[in-house]
Amino acid sequence: MIRHRFEHLPIPLTTVRAPHHLNFVRNPEEVCRFIAQLRECFDKRKPVFVHLKDVEEIDYDGITVLLSVMVRFRAKKIPFNGNFPRDPEIHQLLKDSDFFDHLYYSDFSDTDTYELTGKNSILTHAMRRVDSVLGERIIKAASQTVWGEPRRCRGVQRTLIELMQNTNNHASLEREGEKHWWLSVKHLQEENRVAFSFVDYGVGVFQSLKSKTQSKKWFGALDYLKALFSTTDNAELLRLIFNGELHKTASGKPYRGKGLPGIYEALLKNKISNLSMVTNDVFFNSESNEYRTLLNNFEGTFIYWELCLDNSSLPYAP
Amino acid sequence: MIIQVFLMLLNIASDFTTAPGPRYDSEGKFSGEVFRRDVLLPKLNEALQKKDVLTVCLDGTAGYGTSFLEESFGGLIREDKLTLATLNSVLKFESEEEPELITEIREYMTDAESERIKEAKA
Repeated sequence: MIRHRFEHLPIPLTTVRAPHHLNFVRNPEEVCRFIAQLRECFDKRKPVFVHLKDVEEIDYDGITVLLSVMVRFRAKKIPFNGNFPRDPEIHQLLKDSDFFDHLYYSDFSDTDTYELTGKNSILTHAMRRVDSVLGERIIKAASQTVWGEPRRCRGVQRTLIELMQNTNNHASLEREGEKHWWLSVKHLQEENRVAFSFVDYGVGVFQSLKSKTQSKKWFGALDYLKALFSTTDNAELLRLIFNGELHKTASGKPYRGKGLPGIYEALLKNKISNLSMVTNDVFFNSESNEYRTLLNNFEGTFIYWELCLDNSSLPYAP
Repeated sequence: MIIQVFLMLLNIASDFTTAPGPRYDSEGKFSGEVFRRDVLLPKLNEALQKKDVLTVCLDGTAGYGTSFLEESFGGLIREDKLTLATLNSVLKFESEEEPELITEIREYMTDAESERIKEAKA
């Protein structure tokens, strides 16, 4: 028997329609709108019905969003329901991620760590802490896919640690270590490529910088940067942040690899490829060198990058 | 007169971990705070006592976050009250895999020294 809904619930549900293209990198506006609607339901503890039927395209980052949202609802015991994508390929992709298995059979509690393993080599991890050992393990597996042998990729490890540390330190305005980060890793064996999607549902880079109190290092730095470069456009400000201008402003010293500029530097030094980012109202994509201001705000930070054959690496056992 | 200098070696990968982590212990395993307190500082004190030189080898790890490096080496000045002059006389770094890390670490130490001097004057 084909089930047309995840399950039947007697509680009234708020329907949230997923975008036709559930892909953060290619369709950031609609994915931001979708997440904002889900977030509103989550914050108000409203049971939700996710309308997935009309999804025509989904990528690993879209799956990361769905998985993480579903676990957050389930962990808080807020009913989460929906229908299946009509498109058989999309349906299959979601099935391969074990999204439905986790939805039906996993019992999530509000815990520090989640580890979701899907078929077809999609692995999702969620934590509050910085886990460098996990990073090392993920890179070992990723390098097997890319080069056919375990290698060390220090640019990827720095990227992972800086992102985890950022979520731990800056994602919540109330206290450090409150928010989870979510990381999905997709192995594309035939293309010798591994795709990384990292997301946190914190406040986002610009909101976090705006909210720094006087005692904090970054207090006033964003306003100073805006005045210095005569801009209020967050897309332009992200370009300045990537180039280390915010760090120079805050410390009065040259930037040396911290946080987001460190990730951008890993891209410039060919340690990672195809970097994309969405935070608050800004979208960045390295392939098109596009910095765009979005109409819809994303309260959080999403980063996507890839590891491929062209990237630099070191032997596993030096 | 012959001055004999014995080189002491601290290899982060084999003496601490291949996966250095965050800044503080409270943020995750293998932090810069724990490395400095439990591994680096005792070796450094030993080197100072023996009037020796401690070489820290940065190779062989999965990679470093910036906070780990800052807390480990900048922290020697900020938390353990050593001076940059003392550290420059006793501490050497070695990295064939990522030599730019040495510049990065030296800058963290210089920044921490500037802060220390600023605070001492205040």
